[in-house]
Amino acid sequence: MDLLPFLLTQCLNALSQAALLFFLGVGLTLIFGIMRIVNFAHGTFYMLGAFLGYSAVRLTGSFWAGLVIGPLIGGAIGAAFEMGLLRRLYRRDESAFLMVTFGLTLVLGEIIRLLWGVNALQVELPNMFAGIVFLFDEPFPTYRLFLAGAGVVVAIAIWQFLERTRLGLLIRATSQNAEMVHALGVDVNLVRTAIFGIGCGLAALGGVLAAPLVTASLGMAGNAIIDAFVIVIIGGMGSFLGSLLAAVLVAFVQVFGNYYFPDFALAAMYMLMLLVLVIRPGGLLGKEA
Amino acid sequence: MTGWRLFFLAAIVLAAAPFGLPIFAMTLLTEALILGLLAMSLDLMVGYTRLISFGHAAAYGLGAYASGYLLLHTALPLPVAVLAAALLAGVVAIGVAWVCTMATGVSFSMLTLAFAQLLYAVAFKWTSVTGASDGLAGIPRHPGPFGITVFQTKNGYYYLVLVCLLGAYVFCRALVSSPFGAVLRGIRENEAKTLSLGYNTRLYKIAVVALSFALGGLAGALYSPFAGFANTELLFWLFSGQVLIMVIVGGQGTLIGPILGAAFFMLLEHVLSAYTESWALFFGLIFIGFVMFAPQGIWGLLTSRRPKNARI
Repeated sequence: MDLLPFLLTQCLNALSQAALLFFLGVGLTLIFGIMRIVNFAHGTFYMLGAFLGYSAVRLTGSFWAGLVIGPLIGGAIGAAFEMGLLRRLYRRDESAFLMVTFGLTLVLGEIIRLLWGVNALQVELPNMFAGIVFLFDEPFPTYRLFLAGAGVVVAIAIWQFLERTRLGLLIRATSQNAEMVHALGVDVNLVRTAIFGIGCGLAALGGVLAAPLVTASLGMAGNAIIDAFVIVIIGGMGSFLGSLLAAVLVAFVQVFGNYYFPDFALAAMYMLMLLVLVIRPGGLLGKEA
Repeated sequence: MTGWRLFFLAAIVLAAAPFGLPIFAMTLLTEALILGLLAMSLDLMVGYTRLISFGHAAAYGLGAYASGYLLLHTALPLPVAVLAAALLAGVVAIGVAWVCTMATGVSFSMLTLAFAQLLYAVAFKWTSVTGASDGLAGIPRHPGPFGITVFQTKNGYYYLVLVCLLGAYVFCRALVSSPFGAVLRGIRENEAKTLSLGYNTRLYKIAVVALSFALGGLAGALYSPFAGFANTELLFWLFSGQVLIMVIVGGQGTLIGPILGAAFFMLLEHVLSAYTESWALFFGLIFIGFVMFAPQGIWGLLTSRRPKNARI
């Protein structure tokens, strides 16, 4: 295999992986930026997305339906959870959130098990993505190409949303000084509900997109939450650009690590995290240095 | 002091338990005491220093695998192997704590979680030592030292566990009442202030993590010869969360509360799993309920005095 096509396919592979990691990490980091809380249930929303994607394909026959339904339901559950429980905890220690969302992880995980059973479920790809394309005579799965593209599109969409819309403005303002925003007559609670819902919805979107690659299974949540945490730590808590950067970094380390040292690929991710923490304890683009 | 009177009463009741309880209840009780030791060790970090560890399964798993490995591959007497395993967990924890304490607050929690997951991955890959997904099975209880064989029996083992738990409790109680414990509480309430008073808070944090891991490792080291096996379940992140539940539900920062929390957890799991497979669902709900409405935990409710720091 020539070096150039090899590098190209591996890089594309890494970018598609980065897209999934980005969907996972960006929601967590946005939620942290606004609410100063860590959503332990984030991986569970990712898993929920995968199962919802499976059911959407089964019921409607359309992969696209899953891409709409998954984030909507995930986001709605997230928003409801914020309104019902989290809102009562804002005066408490940050660890209270960590623990309540851990409780949610248990409850949601069990509900998913009851609804979909314990077996891993394979999600069919739509025909247009099921094949492979040739890049410099190297075969490459079309779906991974689509994923990389989707990652770019969603990243730009979130960026524009944060920079150009009123809600985006409020979100950025709330992350800087919630009291001032509140004093200006904005219902900060609604902003928080919105961002929690959006974050959970993004995680679910990642799950829907990941399902055809990895199957929807009950083990997803644990792996996803670790990946998400690693990305948020590397990128810096609350930093949108940081999560993008970290997702790409981690994906490259995972993909190339898997190729060159398969036994140490997992450790490589943690080594990267350790390195970043030693150099910049607040993460690459984090505020606290 | 009523506290110590209560302690001796509890010790006597627990010591008399084998004479009044049937065998299956003794098995449950032994496991509950082991989990109680684990939860109490986590309380040193969570309740007294506000180091919320989401990776305490690492301590338990380290201890369990280490004592299992020693008993399978050497002829060390049971108590010696158990103590060696606890020591190992404590030593490993120094390195872990050195890394994890670079971060504070939530980042610290995430790092402990990541470390535990790393160990979990290692346990899956390092087949020659950990037996990969099969784990270690058929872990024996070697006799000795000095030809003592009593620990090989069910009740004898129960007494070994009880002695370890009571010893660890006295140690922890002395620790948190000492000047060292006062610094830990200082870190809990206001780390910056404690630092500015001239205490090297990071060293204190590393020390408490190492002690906590050593005691958690002791619990794990007692578990694997008790169950006869050690597997990757013991290192799983969900288990770390469960231990944290025991601490919070029992009442953090009280030492005794987490032990009650562990017993409550065992009992509830036992009762619920008889009726429903979905006990995790009810568990999650009960846990959410405690965090929301009774942050002082069972022990706090029983003694009905608010903890000095009711924020959790």
